[in-house]
Amino acid sequence: MDKYKTSAGERKYTNGEITVYWKPAACIHATYCFRELIEVFDPGRRPWVDMKGAPTDMIIKVVNMCPTEALSWKWNDETKNQSIGPEQTNHIIFRRPELIEDEANREFEAPVTVKIMTDGPIVIKGTFELIYKGNKKVITDSLISICRCGASDIQPYCDGQHRKIGFTG
Amino acid sequence: MEENKEVESKVKVEIDETGPVKITGNFILKDLQRGTETKPGEVLLCACGKTSRQPFCDNSHEKKS
Repeated sequence: MDKYKTSAGERKYTNGEITVYWKPAACIHATYCFRELIEVFDPGRRPWVDMKGAPTDMIIKVVNMCPTEALSWKWNDETKNQSIGPEQTNHIIFRRPELIEDEANREFEAPVTVKIMTDGPIVIKGTFELIYKGNKKVITDSLISICRCGASDIQPYCDGQHRKIGFTG
Repeated sequence: MEENKEVESKVKVEIDETGPVKITGNFILKDLQRGTETKPGEVLLCACGKTSRQPFCDNSHEKKS
């Protein structure tokens, strides 16, 4: 297992074509990955990522759904990474930093979305005001995952407890 | 009048120690569990898990179990 570690807690997984990077500290449990592609992303299994579970294009599609840098990907062939556009990934900071200004301008117009994840948290994405116990914070072009099951140890945020307690709703 | 419009569309998420998550403003509510998509303007979403009207609050958080 040691050969997969890049630094504390972080892992990388490859299928020869792409490498998927996993940063557990960044995960906010939006639950998109295993809901879309359980054959590859299975939090109940160790290691939880199985790169043989689906074809490369499917893995790319699902990793692109991750709202944070908990999951990201790169082509193993570095020359291919130079031509990836922002529409193919939400991690342009990782691959094409020169596109950041364009991305920021685009995101500004998008409305706020509030998603009720199946048996999971409330995922709120966009630019909005968060008032927690009377304390106001402006969330700018970002995403938060709010506990819906009541069992999280880091209220009001989700910490994955809903899976452990078998929350349905 | 332009000023009022902007104040209404700003999204506010209010969360307290107990009780629902109150969200107001111009947002899209996508309930992936029930397959619905709406623009309600205001919602009270259950944060305790006990509601019988998922995903909305029905004051179950106030009831003594």
